Amino acid sequence: VYQVFESVAKKYDVMNDSMTLGIHRVWKDILMHKMNPSPGTLLLDVAGGTGDIAFRFINYVRSVRERQLQRKLKHHQNLSWQEISETYQEDKLKSLGDSQVVVCDINKEMLKVGKQKAQHLGYSEGLSWVLGNAEELPFDDDKFDVYTIAFGIRNVTRIDLALQEAYRVLKPGGRFLCLEFSHVSNPLLSRLYDLYSFQVIPVLGEVIAGDWKSYQYLVESIRRFPPQEELKAMIEDAGFLKVDYQNLNLGIVAIHSGFKL
Amino acid sequence: VRCQLSPPQRPLQASAVLRRVSDEQKEPLASSSQQQFDSHPADHQPEQEPQGPRPSYTGQGGQESEDYESEEQLQHRILTAALEFVPEHGWTAEAIAEGAKTLGLSVAAAGMFHSDGSELVLHFVSQCNTKLSELLEQEQKLVQLGKAEKKPTDQFLRDAVEARLRMLIPYIEKWPQALSILLLPHNIPSSLNLLTSMIDDVWHYAGDQSTDFNWYTRRAVLTGIYNTTELVMMQDSSPDFEDTWRFLENRVADAMNMGNTANQVQSTGEAVVQGLMGAAVTVSN
Repeated sequence: VYQVFESVAKKYDVMNDSMTLGIHRVWKDILMHKMNPSPGTLLLDVAGGTGDIAFRFINYVRSVRERQLQRKLKHHQNLSWQEISETYQEDKLKSLGDSQVVVCDINKEMLKVGKQKAQHLGYSEGLSWVLGNAEELPFDDDKFDVYTIAFGIRNVTRIDLALQEAYRVLKPGGRFLCLEFSHVSNPLLSRLYDLYSFQVIPVLGEVIAGDWKSYQYLVESIRRFPPQEELKAMIEDAGFLKVDYQNLNLGIVAIHSGFKL
Repeated sequence: VRCQLSPPQRPLQASAVLRRVSDEQKEPLASSSQQQFDSHPADHQPEQEPQGPRPSYTGQGGQESEDYESEEQLQHRILTAALEFVPEHGWTAEAIAEGAKTLGLSVAAAGMFHSDGSELVLHFVSQCNTKLSELLEQEQKLVQLGKAEKKPTDQFLRDAVEARLRMLIPYIEKWPQALSILLLPHNIPSSLNLLTSMIDDVWHYAGDQSTDFNWYTRRAVLTGIYNTTELVMMQDSSPDFEDTWRFLENRVADAMNMGNTANQVQSTGEAVVQGLMGAAVTVSN
């Protein structure tokens, strides 16, 4: 797995866009909306390499925070200008409202690309990059509000261990969110999807990233991955409650959600 | 409601937050997560959180699940705690998140609910209705025991509606928002259900007082009275909502009169018909 992603790291984002025709951005946005994080949330994004989820999180929290501040200012209409500017300043400093995201990935190259992207896009505060293995996270118990793993869990050898680790590092009440390719039950779409996956994607892989094998591996790993209900059962086994999943695009992708209660 | 512990598959995975009802009497467990609760004053029951394996439960399997709080109960607790934050945040997911925080849960727990705050409003309305029922039940008991006078219908209705509307007073500023949430299409079945059952309840306790209305009319009339009074209350700025209660008094009086008028119309109608019949008979002869 490590070597696959080593070679893939630099072209990862480009490949994502071309393989999914850009829809992966929508999927990640939907994930963020489902999460609906409030300012002050501590997010752990596992296998988050190039930072897509992390950046979306920061954007989301920032806009929520801005709306909160605007509402507060509306209420303060009777205060003097002095008082208003004081509150405005102290809130300005906390533009993220103490929210933080820790991006954890097993692969140094992916993290490097992520850090570069962050610098390039101007994300500085509230971000940390940690090298770590999903099956054995380098974090204490009960630390995070939300744990996400977007398109990463199928690359984990022992999914049950990863789920247990997720349970461990989440605070009570914390939420587990998993965005992953899943099983398409509609037969027509399933055939088209298979066709696309096996014929088109490895070719794209060769053309854009110069790597047929890695993308062949990718497509096969998607097929081998457990379907929605099975993954739901595995998540429940790890101790999560109120486990549910939402199919996107008829099952090409699914978001699984569970709570540590 | 699912069993929280299905014995073979979940070896000793005790939930982090759902507490054993019987544990409330025991001393708090010393575990790392307890630090979150030190800030809570002693009068608030410390949350018991069995962390990690508890050897004494091995082999007792399914029985434990009855003592554990169900997910729904936990959700109710979160929503109740969230009510405190409604004046500040409105009926929103933020209020729910704050509520979850006071229970020692992560703010992410608010993700269990719809992001528009629907469940919070519905929970509150349901709570108010339950309180009203209890109030009316108690009053009825007093009457049965002879300790209180039985009220005439109009007085009874006025008092019941006033009592129910008074429960809105702490949240009155954000109540218009709540009303609009209740009117959202996906909430209408539930909110309508809550409203009709509340009205039913009130009539049930107003009970055997004759009004000559039929059952549907009674419901419709009282629902109309309740809704219009509620709307008036939103706009009312008089001290202790005097204007609202006066409005209520007038509406109830109207309703009572309507009953009499309907009666009169009916008997007048009958008299007219009889007169016509008599005239027809006379003419034919």
